[in-house]
Amino acid sequence: MNRALRFLLTNFLLWKTAMFGTGRQRAVIVGLAKSACWLIGTCAATAFAAEPGANLWQAQIKVSRGVVNIARDGQRYPGIVGARLKEKDVIETGGNGSVGVMFNDNSTLSLGPDAEVVLQRYAYDSTTYMGAFDAYIKKGTVSVQAGNIAKQSPEAMRMMTPKAEVSGTAKNYVVSVGE
Amino acid sequence: MKTAWIALAVSLALGACAHRDSYVLLPDQSGQAPGSLNIKPAEGGGQPVKLDQAYQTATSTMGGGFDASRTDAEDVKRRYGAALDAMPPPVVRFTLYFLEGSDELTPKSKADLTVVLGEIKGRPVPDIVVIGHTDRVGLIPDNDRLALRRAEAFRKKLLEQGIPADAIQTAGRGEREPLINTPDEIPEPRNRRVEILVR
Repeated sequence: MNRALRFLLTNFLLWKTAMFGTGRQRAVIVGLAKSACWLIGTCAATAFAAEPGANLWQAQIKVSRGVVNIARDGQRYPGIVGARLKEKDVIETGGNGSVGVMFNDNSTLSLGPDAEVVLQRYAYDSTTYMGAFDAYIKKGTVSVQAGNIAKQSPEAMRMMTPKAEVSGTAKNYVVSVGE
Repeated sequence: MKTAWIALAVSLALGACAHRDSYVLLPDQSGQAPGSLNIKPAEGGGQPVKLDQAYQTATSTMGGGFDASRTDAEDVKRRYGAALDAMPPPVVRFTLYFLEGSDELTPKSKADLTVVLGEIKGRPVPDIVVIGHTDRVGLIPDNDRLALRRAEAFRKKLLEQGIPADAIQTAGRGEREPLINTPDEIPEPRNRRVEILVR
């Protein structure tokens, strides 16, 4: 995509120059155009490579139906399939919404309608399987599938609700708040 | 006066229902024991509850504690179907094998490749972890490089198929994690492999 963009931009500038410039001007402008495009291309490539880095993101939305939102740093984003999540994100579903999230340690959380879950803490080492996973289920139904973090140390994965704290060796369970 | 009492009782009952929390232990999907779940009340409200059988349930009480009871698959489906239906498709694992000292797949694994690619392409947003391994023939640093080359060779195949680069993680484990344990310098075709995790 970057290459295509650079190609188009270069050609557009070359064409402009060809129409309006004289010999010497043309050479300077072509040179400038080329370095500008190279810069744009490099910056774009860097930004792109830095963004979805494996360690920056802890989870990804795999299933999304109806209204699903992610609240992050006071902003609200649509919780579409493919969206990446990180620590401190809040996942919310509307009255017709449901969402399935896969974490790096192969844990999954799936939320039914009118649910709100805060990803309080998530850390995971894919070599040792050590980590910490705390989620606060404020309301709604959440189906939980424990992954490598809980397999390594059951106490390291905790589902919190307003009334309780849940942990253990269980692989599959449901937590329903305010049913 | 009587109606006021009834109204109070009804509102209390409704209030209790509206704020009821439930915790249900489900069967393990791979057919193993369900494990156990400890439910600790948040503010010193009664005793913790432990669930260790499939479909055992803890339900919050007005006193801040929990009552244990039992439910079944049908009830779980009726009450929690929407959340359960949204569960991401299960993680799938594959192993592909390589020719000795090479990052070229064996003829059998070349044929299996279409199955792996089919699984990956069947998912709307796949992410893939590829880990390369070797047998114990050769020096450790050489095997580390070969393991990584195997993982990278597979990654290249995925890129050629249009899988985005940020969806693929690769690693090489050299001869450290053999599938079949052998003494050093013993050739073992089943250890020359990449393990692929698709989720």
